[in-house]
Amino acid sequence: MPGIFEALPGIDVPVASISKGLADMWEGNASQGKPSPGHDHAKAIQVNFVLHLGLKTDAADAVRQFETAVRFSRRYPCRVVVLCPISKETGTMEIKAKVYGECTVGKTPEDTRCCEFVILSYPRSAREHLENQVSICLSTDIPIYYWAHRFSEAAKLADYKYLLTSAKRVLIDSATAPADAEGFPWPKPQNVRDLAFARLLPVRQAIGQFLSRYPAKSIGVGITSVELAHGSELAPEAKVLLGWLRARIRDCGGPDGIGTLHAAPQLAARKIEINFSYPDKRSFKWSADLADGHSVFDADYGTGHAEMTAAVALLSPENALSEAMFF
Amino acid sequence: MAEPERHPFLQGLSKHRGAPPTVVVIFGASGDLTARKLIPAIYNLSVDNLLPADFHLVGYGRKEMSDDEFRKIAAKAVKDFSRREMDDKVWEKVAANTTYVAGEYDKKDDFDKLAKHIADIEKGVGSEVQSMFYISTPPSVFFPIIENLGASGLGGRYLGKPHHSKVIIEKPFGKDLDSAKALNAELRSVFEENQVYRIDHYLGKETVQDLLVQRFANSIFEPIWNRNFIDSVQITVAEDLGVGTRAGYYDESGCLRDMIQNHTTQLLALTAMEPPGSFDAEALRNEKVKVLKAIEPVNLGPDADMARAQYAAGMIGGKQVPGYLEEQGIPKGSATETFAALRLSINNWRWQGVPFYLRSGKRLPRRVSEIAIQFKKAPGTIFPQKEGFNLAANTLSFQIQPDEGLSLILNAKVPGLDTRTQPVKMSFRYATTFGSNTPEAYERLVLDAMIGDGTLFIRGDEAEESWKLYTPVLKFWESEGTKGMESYTAGSWGPEGADKLLTSRGHVWRQP
Repeated sequence: MPGIFEALPGIDVPVASISKGLADMWEGNASQGKPSPGHDHAKAIQVNFVLHLGLKTDAADAVRQFETAVRFSRRYPCRVVVLCPISKETGTMEIKAKVYGECTVGKTPEDTRCCEFVILSYPRSAREHLENQVSICLSTDIPIYYWAHRFSEAAKLADYKYLLTSAKRVLIDSATAPADAEGFPWPKPQNVRDLAFARLLPVRQAIGQFLSRYPAKSIGVGITSVELAHGSELAPEAKVLLGWLRARIRDCGGPDGIGTLHAAPQLAARKIEINFSYPDKRSFKWSADLADGHSVFDADYGTGHAEMTAAVALLSPENALSEAMFF
Repeated sequence: MAEPERHPFLQGLSKHRGAPPTVVVIFGASGDLTARKLIPAIYNLSVDNLLPADFHLVGYGRKEMSDDEFRKIAAKAVKDFSRREMDDKVWEKVAANTTYVAGEYDKKDDFDKLAKHIADIEKGVGSEVQSMFYISTPPSVFFPIIENLGASGLGGRYLGKPHHSKVIIEKPFGKDLDSAKALNAELRSVFEENQVYRIDHYLGKETVQDLLVQRFANSIFEPIWNRNFIDSVQITVAEDLGVGTRAGYYDESGCLRDMIQNHTTQLLALTAMEPPGSFDAEALRNEKVKVLKAIEPVNLGPDADMARAQYAAGMIGGKQVPGYLEEQGIPKGSATETFAALRLSINNWRWQGVPFYLRSGKRLPRRVSEIAIQFKKAPGTIFPQKEGFNLAANTLSFQIQPDEGLSLILNAKVPGLDTRTQPVKMSFRYATTFGSNTPEAYERLVLDAMIGDGTLFIRGDEAEESWKLYTPVLKFWESEGTKGMESYTAGSWGPEGADKLLTSRGHVWRQP
């Protein structure tokens, strides 16, 4: 079975001449008539993006995340550095590199956008040299975004403090993050974003828009229970969603920490149901099937019974990335 | 102005993601603008989940049609003009809440019918609903619509609350100072100023908003953004099209009214205004008004500050095109200008002595809108102007459309043993850096109005200040008839008189 570095596309280049490798790659593309940055316009870069594939990433997952980064960089032209740790100690300190590039052809030559990937494979013993290698692969003076994917322990990220501290945003995904991520002393916790929370944007937006029709106190004051049931595929998102609901209910004058989570085997894998209970006639129910993008609100806050449907789906991985990075 | 406190369930969502339940009523529902811009904008907002949970669209027009017929027209508009392909599921949701009311613009009974229709929608929603009236009609019916919105009580719904009624009105905001004042008076008789959103779609363009960001978020520009460093400013809004099917409207209007008084002057105001205290609607618009007030009256006499012309037959894109006077629907002997150029002076500390050259016209070589800031030349004592030293003035140009972006002309050494210089262009292109599928101006503006943000809309006094500047020019041209009207070949950059405005001050027009 190939390692994650071997599974990713790209052209092998010596680590000492990555820039030349990139230039040769584009030249090769151009000579074959493939899209390439024919002029500097096409290489405009607005983001330095470091995708760190953790030790829990297998080859298929690495390819999936790589493809997400490619799709993201079509929209936001990037210089992407992909870090691929070698799980087994090889006894050498050697770092290996590959380069990959892709251009998106637009309506006009000026609308052609290209992104560049530098993929680095490194043994654990080379960690302390990685900072310098990564820094020369990135584009100077523009912000760095660091996505740590499927890392085995948050504590191990302490080895990459320079990325955790210099990145404008550090992205993790609570759906795959290890248990110690929540309590990890992130050097800049204000910069850490959860991709699961970002994925839930349309859900937060739909619920937020619907409930904002009612006075905050009607929602929060006197609320007796908040039940959130979810299908088997949505446990991480449900946990994050409950956290958001708790904070919003508290801000509406409700009690702190209200709400329970139920893994509901009877629900379809991508269904979520929310139910607010009150001692009076007030009620709120929301049921969503994220597989078909359909949701139904059913509420009564004393101004009459309201029932409404709304389209809702989780953000795609690349859109979740941009949401977590820029908003 | 402090922002109203947000509902806890909207905390953490951007301001654009929390519009209140809204009914948008479009007057002129079967019009061209509705089909080309408004319906596609609403559809795209829905794709992005930016419309409120309870969003209703009501078409209003004289033509009798059923809800279904209007939905079909709207669906066709999305298919024909949306920047993104139609997603049936998204459209179904919008269409389910789309209805049509047939009525006259001058009959109060018909507006009462509309009011009942909105009340029924509100009843269905089960909470107070914001009404937004989009007047997308010819100006001849602005007044009756405004009056009837007042008489029917629709204009005053929920006054004092953030979801009060709002009215969006399309240009022209009058045809001279008197009519602009009359329109403002009419609007104010029904609405408070903060309910009125005068739309100039140029302000919704990404690059126009980027102009503010470039000016005020980059510390390198502000210290040199003044008469000490800037030599002149050129603003061009050029079209390659002729009058097309708008002959009747255009011949009544002309270039100065159609383009200069609004789009071009807005670009000038944003370029020349002082930094506002905040990015708040009132702060920004106050600064725009201040700079408009500081523009000196246009000199109409000898060495006049303006030029006008009509296009004559010529070639555009390799094809022969007729002259203005040969266009269908244009009266023989028309004295309407299809090109106007002005040289304006701003009498304030920052801009004293810096000419602002404005030009706009039809049948120019290409469609382009740009603002070009030409800086003073370097003293050049060590690079004397002789063979081998080709020193250009540094020019920062903001391209508003097409190919949105900006470029800066710098002087660089040509590689080689001898020291020779050459101007080089450093460019930033929106499409290359951010992709071209950015929201249309109308999407941004419709949503801004829905959430009550007037920053990118024109305030009444702003419209009046602009007319104050141009009305004397219009009156002068009217009094002159065709006397002094120049002509320019279609496909050229305009008449000789426009060139003279610049050459007399040692400048030349750019050819963007």
